[in-house]
This record gives sequence, C-alpha cells and structure tokens, in this order.
Amino acid sequence: MNIRLATPADLLGMQACNLQNLPENYSFRYYLYHFLTWPQLSYVAEDHKGRIVGYILAKMEEEPSDAPHGHVTSISVLRSYRRLGLAKKLMVMSQEAMATVYKAEYVSLHVRKSNRAALGLYKDALGFDVHDIEKKYYADGEDAYAMRLSLKTE
Amino acid sequence: MSKVVGLPGVPKNRILASKEAALFRTVLQLYETRQWKRGLKTADQILKKNPDHGETLSMRGLILTNLNRKEEGQECVKKGVRMDLTSHICWHVFGLVHKADRNYEEALKCYTQALKFEKDNLNILRDAAHLQMQLRHFDQLVETRQILLKNRVNVRQSWAAMAIAYHLNGQLESATKVLELYERTVKDIPPYDPEHSEFLLYHIAILEEMGSHSEALNLLDVSAKSRSITDRSMISIFRARLLHKLERSEEAREVWVSLIEANTECYDHYKGYLSTQSLDLDSQDSETRKLSMVTLRRFAEQYPKAVAPRRILLELSAGDEFKEIVEHYLLHGITRGIPSLFADIKDLYVSPEKREVIQDIVEGIRTKLEKGGTSSEPPTTYIWTMYFLVQHYSSMPSTIPHALSLVDEAIAHTPTLPELYVAKARALKRTGDPLGASATMGAAWRLDLQDRFLNTKYAKYLLRAGFIEEGNKTLGLFTKKGASSPGADLEDMQSFFYMLEEGDAQNRAGRLNLALKRYHTAFKTFDDVEDDQYDFHSYAVRKYTFRTYLQFIKVEDRLRSHPAYAHAALAASKIYIRLFDSPKLASPTAGLTDAQKKAAKKAKKAELKQQEDAKKASQPAATDDSEVAAIKDDDPEGLKLLAAPDPLDRAAKLLSPLQQLRPELLDTWLVSYDVAIRRKRYLQALKALNHAKSIDKNGAEVHSRVIELKTKGTLPPSSNPASQLIPADQSLEAFNSAFLQRHSTSAPHIVAAARGMVYIRGADGPRADVEDLVFQLTREEVEADVPTSLQALSFLRDTLRSSRVEEFRVACDARFPLATVFKDEKSSPRFMHPECSILFNPVRTATSQRSWRCDVDTFIATGVEEFPCILY
Repeated sequence: MNIRLATPADLLGMQACNLQNLPENYSFRYYLYHFLTWPQLSYVAEDHKGRIVGYILAKMEEEPSDAPHGHVTSISVLRSYRRLGLAKKLMVMSQEAMATVYKAEYVSLHVRKSNRAALGLYKDALGFDVHDIEKKYYADGEDAYAMRLSLKTE
Repeated sequence: MSKVVGLPGVPKNRILASKEAALFRTVLQLYETRQWKRGLKTADQILKKNPDHGETLSMRGLILTNLNRKEEGQECVKKGVRMDLTSHICWHVFGLVHKADRNYEEALKCYTQALKFEKDNLNILRDAAHLQMQLRHFDQLVETRQILLKNRVNVRQSWAAMAIAYHLNGQLESATKVLELYERTVKDIPPYDPEHSEFLLYHIAILEEMGSHSEALNLLDVSAKSRSITDRSMISIFRARLLHKLERSEEAREVWVSLIEANTECYDHYKGYLSTQSLDLDSQDSETRKLSMVTLRRFAEQYPKAVAPRRILLELSAGDEFKEIVEHYLLHGITRGIPSLFADIKDLYVSPEKREVIQDIVEGIRTKLEKGGTSSEPPTTYIWTMYFLVQHYSSMPSTIPHALSLVDEAIAHTPTLPELYVAKARALKRTGDPLGASATMGAAWRLDLQDRFLNTKYAKYLLRAGFIEEGNKTLGLFTKKGASSPGADLEDMQSFFYMLEEGDAQNRAGRLNLALKRYHTAFKTFDDVEDDQYDFHSYAVRKYTFRTYLQFIKVEDRLRSHPAYAHAALAASKIYIRLFDSPKLASPTAGLTDAQKKAAKKAKKAELKQQEDAKKASQPAATDDSEVAAIKDDDPEGLKLLAAPDPLDRAAKLLSPLQQLRPELLDTWLVSYDVAIRRKRYLQALKALNHAKSIDKNGAEVHSRVIELKTKGTLPPSSNPASQLIPADQSLEAFNSAFLQRHSTSAPHIVAAARGMVYIRGADGPRADVEDLVFQLTREEVEADVPTSLQALSFLRDTLRSSRVEEFRVACDARFPLATVFKDEKSSPRFMHPECSILFNPVRTATSQRSWRCDVDTFIATGVEEFPCILY
C-alpha cells in the first residue's frame, strides 16, 4: 500500500474509511479544518486503485498553559488491510511531522477502555503510556484512556 | 456594518431621532452577538415610530432569516432596500441574505451595489472577495484584493491574499512580486515559525510553477538553512524535484534516497528517483522496464522490509524473474496472515500468465501443507492459503463453484475466522444469490459484533438482498443513539455509502420516491461540501496554509467527479426516465401488492412515531434568546420528487456535471442519450451517442441506441443523425444482422440486436423471431452472465410482453443453479442456504417478508458501475 501525506483530494475517502470502520465520525468540515490548519500532519494509505484503506487525522494542541503537543484525532485501517503495519507507519510519519514542524514535545490520543486491540497497538507497538482516564469521554458513556508518547529525542 | 447615522449628505428618510439612532446601534450589536429575539424587539421599537426606515427594515429581515422565518425575513429585507436604495447597509444585508440562501451570484451583485455607496468598507470588500473566490471570478477578485491591500498594508494576510488572487488569475509574476515585497518588509520573524514556513513554501511553489527553478531552489536553500522553513519532508520533496528539473540528477538522486529512507512505502519517492534516470514506471518499453527493475531490486535489497519496491517489481517483471519474486511475496503474505494479500495482487491478473503462475504457487503451498501434516507451519498458514485460493477462484465466474467448495472446507477447519465468511458471501453474491450472500455475511458479523467494518458489510449485504429494515437496524448498532433513525445519523455524517445503498435498495423494491429521496440527499451533501469552502476562504489566509488551500480549491472544482455523484446522478436519471415513460409510476404505491401497501403504511406510522419520540427526547428546554425553530423537511418521503412535472429536465441537470467531469464514463453518454431522445433533442442525442461510441465502439448498449435514433430521430438533412453511425449504403436490417453475426456468442450483443429488431419493426411488428433470438442466451456456447440474463428476462416480459417469459426463467434457473434471482417466487425454501436460517432469528420482522426473487427491472436499473463501498 502506498503511504503518503494526505492531500485535500483524500478528504472524502478518509471520511468514508472512518465511517465504515469506527464509531466516532466527523463531518467533512472537521476534516477540512484539520487540513487547512495543520496540513503536514495527516497521512493516508491507499491501494493500487487509489482508494483510502487507512489514515491518520492529526492536529496540534497549542494552549499556552501546556507544552506544544500533537493529538491524534482519528486513526484507522480497514479490517481487510490489517497486519501490514499500516497503522504504525502512519503514526510514525505523523509524529515525525509534529516534532519537526511544530516542535511537539509529546503526542496524545484517546482510546476506548474496551478497545483492547487498539490499546495493544498503542502500548506495545508504538510505546504510548496511559496518562489518565477520562470518565465518560465518549458519547455513549464509555471511559477513555488518555495516552501519551514523548517525542523528545534524548 | 459600523457607522450608521447623522452624516451630511445622508438622505432625510434615513436620519433617525437620537433615541432611535441609539436603538439602531443596539440592533446592530445584538445581531453581531446573535441575540436575535432581542434584536427583533428593538427593531420593532424603531419601526413603531419610523415604519419606513429602510436600514431598520433590512436588519429586522436579516434577524428573521436567522430565526428561520426565511420568507418573512426576505420580504422585509427587500422592503428595506426599496425604502433606501442608496444605503450600503440595506444592500449589504440583501447580499448576506442571498449568501445564506447559497445564491452567490445575486449576493455578489448586492455587495457590488453596496460598494457603490461605501467604496472602502472593509467588511463589504472582504465579503465580496470571498464571494468572488466562491464564484471563481478571479479578475474581479484581483481588483477587490488590490483595494483591500491598499487599505491594510500593515496586515500580513493582505499581502498573501493578494498573491493568491494574482496566482489564481494566472498573473504569476505579479504574485511573486507581491510576496517579495512583503518578505523584504518583514524582518522580525523568528526561526521555526510554522506559518512563515508555509508562506515561504508557497512562494517557492509559485516560482517552480513559473519555471524559475534556480530561483526557487535558491530561496529554498536559504530558507532551509536559516530554519525559516520547518517542514523537513517538504524541503526534501521540493529540493529533489527542483534539482531534477535543473538537471542536477546526481544530487536529486541523493535527496530521493533520503526520502525513501524516511518512508519506504511511498510510491512517489521511487518514481521520483527513477525520473532522475529518465525512467517512467508507466512506460511499456522493455528496455525502460529492465532498467527500472535494476534500480528497484537495489532498493529491495537495501530495505528488506519494504513492500513497495517488491510490489512494483511484480508489475514490471515477467517469466522466471516474476516467478521468483512472487513466490517470496506470496509466502511472506500467507505465513504472516495478511488478509489483503489477494486484494493486493489481483491487479496482476490482467496477465493470464501471471494469474496461472500465482495459482500454481499457492496450490503448491497448499499441497505441501496438506501432505506435510504436522510440519513446522502453524495451522493458520493453511487457513490463509485456503483464504487466498477462495478469493482467487471467486475472481472468475467459471471457478466460483470450486471456490465455494474450498471455502466450506476452510470453514470446517476454522469456523471462527470472519474473513472466510466474507469471502464466501462475496462469491455467493457473484453467482447471483444475494440472499445466501447476506446470510453468510451475517455469519461473519456474528463472530465479531464489536467490529463496525463487518457490521457495515453485513448491512450492505442485507440491503442488497432487499432486507431494508434489517439493514437499517444493523447499521443502527453503530450510529448515535439520540438520532431519529440510523439513516438520519448516517446522512448527518455524510455517508454516501448509506445514501446510495439504501437508495438502490429502495429502487429495487420499487419505492422510487424513497430512492429519489436518498439520491437527492447525496446531491445535497455535495452541495454542502461545495458550500463548506466559503468559510475557509478567509480561514486559510489567516492560517497561511495557502498551498493546501489552493489544492483544495481545485478539488472543489472537480467535486462532482466523485464516484458517489456519478452513481446517484445516473441512478436518479434512470428513475426520471422511467417516470417519463410510465407516469403512473409517480403514484408512490404503484407496483406494490395490497399486502405490501398495508405493511408500508404500518411501517410509516411506526417510523413517524419514532421520529416524534426522538424529537421530544432531544428537544432542549426553550430558554435563551437565540432559540430557533428547527427547519422541517417538507418532503420526507420523496413524494414531491416523484411527482415532479419535469423529470427529464431534472435528469438533464443532474447529468450535466458528469458530461464535464466524467466524460470517460460510458453511462454518462448512454443515459444522456436516453434523456435527449425523449426530449426530442436529436442533435444532443447524436452527440451523446458519438461520445459513447468513442468509448465502446462495438458496445451492445451503443448499438441498440444507434438504431433507435435512426428510426425515431428527425434531423435536418445536413445533420443526418446516423450518418456517422451507420454506413450510408447499409439498410438498418443489414446493419443489425451484421452486428449480430460479429458478436453471435455474446449475450449483451444478442439482446442489443433483439432490441434493434423491435425498433426497426415498430411497436406492432412481428415478435416470434425476436423471442427466438433472446432464447439464444440459453445456448451453451453463448457467454451469458446473471445480470445480462436478467436484463433479457425483463426485455421479454416488459417490451415484448412475451408468453415465453416463464420458459426463459426456467432455462436461466437451470443454467445458473446457484443464483436465486431466477427462482420461482413460490418455490419452497429448499433453495435457501443453510446459513439462511439465521435470518429468521435476530431482526427479521413481518413487514419485510418479501419474495425470493429480486425485482428484475430494478436489479438492472441500479446496476450502474459496481461500486466498491470503501470509496464512499
């Protein structure tokens, strides 16, 4: 699968991939907002026909009270394209951009408490730690793990 | 809208007493802070004393439109303008109201008018610029931006916006001059500023576009060195490209290597590297391919885990070399249990040799595993081997039965792997058994109820099999609980997948109103996405993301080239054509049995109640000022769409973007033709047919239409309709039989020739030999598939009103024993697949009891492009 920086031509494909795969969905505007604010941070994996089979949608959190850090809004790989290591590759590309373009000190993300597969990926394959538990983070009342990974190079 | 009253030269009727003048300022303030109800009251206070005060009337109307009292508000705004024709406020408000109504052209006219009376009003100028952008009036945009820049020289963004306007208007020199001027004035930007970084990259991009490559490279190098550009990966990409264009290939190669190192899975990087060797992956030239392979082999060795170079090598190589690479590739994929392995390599099947090599290799792996018994390989290797073979044999109609027996073997071995059921469901779908397919997908679904991917697939298969209610319930397992229905949430989330699949399902079920409704929701979603641009015209400039913004503008320009638009537009147009041909279909219950009508009524009642309950539950307590009446859908069932008096005009309007953006699509022209001939626009019909012919010279669908046009069309002799389509010295009969002779074993062509015969003989001509011709499809040596046979069945039944329909159905049933679409409606459930039983357990209800047989017409009517759902 071809892994590359996402462009505006990928917006609808990413949205479709997300809707097919994950329970948290967003409107076109929200994707657009990410692209036109942090165009360097979102990546896609596409098949030979140019269909989006995986993506990472990411942003920066730049509150003055905290160190600049990246945040993964959504990451997903279609079930039929798993075990290729796409999620990891997408994540690494995005993190690299967060660190070089925006001097992000760490990257954060939320994951459903019940989503053990994703938790395993973030913890074991990508080195994230659970930083906090956010009660009732999801619309259906489920708790989220707030996870973090330091991007400092030392 | 800042200054208001009491200036010299102001018309008398605009001047307010000081108390009212103060109130008017309050109205403006309340509007800006969205306190609409209070704003309305205050405006009324002014109007009590000054009932004809134009600016107050305008503001009152504007507030009303925000309270969703649109018509009343628009009237009020219009009255305001009439009362004060020289007020920039009145015109600006009029423009805002048009803009809110998506009437951008009219809005821009109003702003232009407003600017006549207040030529340097920055608010209005900015609004005008955004409209000019939205409407792509680039020459006007340049003028507006020049005025804005003159007024706001100190603002960074004014310069950038000016450059973008020049750029879009094709004035690249002017654009770069503006950027240079700006760069010379800013001195205090610290390094590592991501916004300035994007600004510089934009400048470099324009220089590159102008062909000023060395200047671009110079600016890039200087800015990269001073850390003014922070985006390292972009620096490399620009650098590699510019070095290549400057013919500094050696240096370019180095940069491409560093990019490959950073991301070994990006095809563009390999293509970039190859381009420095004057190599092109798309080239068919054998020498080029050989040289490309040398390079890619080197990368494959250097990066043993990289997939991309190996996958490209599979494309380029042949013979023993291919065999060697693909063997390794397949083994690796199978032992690692990569589910996408088949999807990944099936493109290679365009070459029958490669297909065979792959089959041999994987069959070899299977034999080894079966013989080896308990060797070192884990049992999963065997299952993934079988999974691959199932998909492999499913990809050719003739080997599907073999695939089905293999998959049953695999399922018996490992009954817990959802992928096996997914593969089986797909194979069943291809045999023309939507029912068994949906039941099998249900089995996959039940193995992992947490997985939305499987849930979506199952819902899709239910919809395809006609279980619309169950499909929606299944989708509802992952939609928002507060939504009035699963569909409402999916439409909210702009799911084209839902709109099209549900629309197609309703279409197949004969509920044309609901089908049109769903397709129109898709059209509306495209309109929304188009409108979404508007707010970003200013946002992107503020955020300095110019390059991305300009890419986005280009995407919006081609928005309706999206497959979802094509699918919906073609399907809706076909319905409009049917409505024109048989106006009685416009009655929403046409074609339904009494029992179905009753069930539909009941379902509707339940749905309405559900919606009302949901509304009650989600209604917030009415408290604050900004409470707004919700906009109601005045046609939730699509009945107004169905009863439209101008179905063909509507179809033509839907097709027009496709003619611009998807001219390579055969259906674009076939359906355009079908509309044109019915509107008696024979020249248009001819044009469409010529387009179609250039895409598919010997196409069956083209052929029957050529004859139709020739028999129906009347054109001035100078533009003889079929002159380019049929040789002058050939009669229609001869033309038709020559066509038949050329394609005597192809089912679609035989049906086309049969249609041709009907056109030639007219509505009352003899039919017996036409029927005989259709029955050719039942002969062994004719290559027929399920969709074409269904089409032939519908042709016999509806066009010929033949007495031999049943005979043909039985013959097709015999020919396609696995398909359920040819089963007799009354036949017993013995045709059911064993897994089917689960359909009767979980979510099945009385209202969706339906016949086994898919409705033939609609099966065909929606058979536009088999669309892969992941695209939407």
